[in-house]
Amino acid sequence: MALLEISGLTKRFGGLSAVDDLNFSVKQGELLSIIGPNGAGKTTLFNLMTGFYKPTSGKIIFKEKDITRSKPHQVTRSGISRTFQMTSIYSQTTVLENLVIGQALHAKSGLCSSIIGFPSANRERKKIQDKAEEILSFVGLEDKRDKSAAGLTEEAQKRLSIGLALSTEPELLLLDEPTGGVNMEEISGLIDLVDKIRQLNITICLIEHKMRMVMSISDRIIVLSYGKNIAEGTPDAVANNEEVIKAYLGERCVF
Amino acid sequence: METLKNIILSKTGIWLLLLVLAVVIPPMVGGYLTSMLILICIWTILCFSVNLIYGYTGQLSLGQAAFFGIGAYAFGLLTVKVGLGFWPAFFLAIVITGIFGFLIGIPALKLRGPYFILVTLGFSVIIGVVFVAWIELTGGANGLAGIPRPNPVPLPWGELSFESLLPMYYFILFFLIIIMLLFSRLVKSLIGKTFIAISYNENLTESLGINTMGRKIMSFTISAVIAGIAGVLYSSYNIVISPEIAYFAKGMDVVAYLIVGGAGTMAGPFIGTFILMALPEILQIVPSLNTLINGIILMLFLLFLPSGVSGGILSLKEKFSKKRIG
Ligand SMILES: Nc1ncnc2c1ncn2[C@@H]1O[C@H](COP(=O)(O)OP(=O)(O)OP(=O)(O)O)[C@@H](O)[C@H]1O
Ligand SMILES: [Mg+2]
Repeated sequence: MALLEISGLTKRFGGLSAVDDLNFSVKQGELLSIIGPNGAGKTTLFNLMTGFYKPTSGKIIFKEKDITRSKPHQVTRSGISRTFQMTSIYSQTTVLENLVIGQALHAKSGLCSSIIGFPSANRERKKIQDKAEEILSFVGLEDKRDKSAAGLTEEAQKRLSIGLALSTEPELLLLDEPTGGVNMEEISGLIDLVDKIRQLNITICLIEHKMRMVMSISDRIIVLSYGKNIAEGTPDAVANNEEVIKAYLGERCVF
Repeated sequence: METLKNIILSKTGIWLLLLVLAVVIPPMVGGYLTSMLILICIWTILCFSVNLIYGYTGQLSLGQAAFFGIGAYAFGLLTVKVGLGFWPAFFLAIVITGIFGFLIGIPALKLRGPYFILVTLGFSVIIGVVFVAWIELTGGANGLAGIPRPNPVPLPWGELSFESLLPMYYFILFFLIIIMLLFSRLVKSLIGKTFIAISYNENLTESLGINTMGRKIMSFTISAVIAGIAGVLYSSYNIVISPEIAYFAKGMDVVAYLIVGGAGTMAGPFIGTFILMALPEILQIVPSLNTLINGIILMLFLLFLPSGVSGGILSLKEKFSKKRIG
């Protein structure tokens, strides 16, 4: 049984089928890339998988549980987390505080015990602080610990947003263009981070436009065009697929 | 010596100084000023309620005066008509207010931005109308009289009665301090941090596994309870209540206090309430002009200092300390 199974997934906005009868599965431990031209429906697919959009029809099964109609926070708690295409961090506060908020879902203390400050609540706080520091160093932002998140470079913001997604301890991590808007020189650092995450045995779905990167790091690729799955397979198979070349007409040189 | 200086100049020092002033000044001034200070304390509590749902959770509610009114009327009715004692009525009144907050919060908080604001405003208008129109229950425009002060406290040297102004002032000041202390612990707790996170970015917070709807309802319910406490205190202090107390413009005034003082800060409710309540008094402004003047001040602040007085002080301090480092 696959980690995640998607069947007949469709999302219509008015007359437009942003995602159109998609069927695919994600296997435990793999890195699956989802590529396709602008507007192909990649982000919409992530929004469906994480409960931010409700599908028009179709089913999403994660670890043999139907999560099609789950709310986003329930999806996260069941083990899927995501980053957003528009880098989402709490820019009003510090880097470490971001990661502390990221740990909040693990907190069990109730309202009263956290206001009064029972020992159990204090112990929990300490544990959460430690975990936040651990993730801070995992994503390589120790030296930015107490800096305002708003002041980070685009690349550091991407690291922080990935750190936030990791805070929820996902089994499946969805990355929406983790190198979007980042300088060419800084991309390899982010790729290293993705590799490090894979070594934690976390399954990854990656949306990317940078073909060289996709070809080198993916186990498998799915190609979307107008919401449809037009090709699926290993990087080599996809790169030589006629349909894909047609969909990317004019962008062929990037392969 | 050095440490003493540090304490005096620190935040804690300022809070302690204010506390001392709040305790020693009233006996030295007349009854009129003391009653003024009582009202400032009550409205500061109400301002804290707006601060929680708006300042810290990012959901602008114009309906907090309605919860104030519900708390005040629930307490008044439970003591006058049901005949409950002070403390049982106090407790029940804030539970009732909390239930109202919870029940209104569920549908209202599903709406975002201007729709939520409008629903809270509408709720406030409706509650105001109910207080006027449901004459058998509330006494209508004539109001409700005979609401009790707290029970006298027996002390070794005699009984402490709350019938006079000064003990009543300390009673209310005590509640203000307790609420402020609990509030500051709440917003620093992990639950409080999720409220703040929602005000920063609701979708991100939801994606981090936080039930944002649940947290918003929690925050709104607590804010209703705080407003209810303010209402009970007012009701007991004033002995009579009438529907004006829940008039929807009061809910807007209190938002103005908070924005002027600084939303999302601990000092904001104190600064804003003090400035906007004391100033008209000092300048001898006709009460009927108050709302107009509040509106103008609010607009000026939104245009020129949207983070309020305490937000302004904070950013000045930041600028200053940056200069010293650079
Ligand atoms: N909330 C929405 N309402 C209406 N239309 C939408 C909505 N979200 C997405 N769409 C439309 O669905 C289609 C797919 O959009 P989507 O953002 O999923 O594309 P994408 O593959 O992520 O593109 P890009 O590579 O540019 O990020 C687009 O035509 C878009 O305009
Ligand atoms: Mg996209």
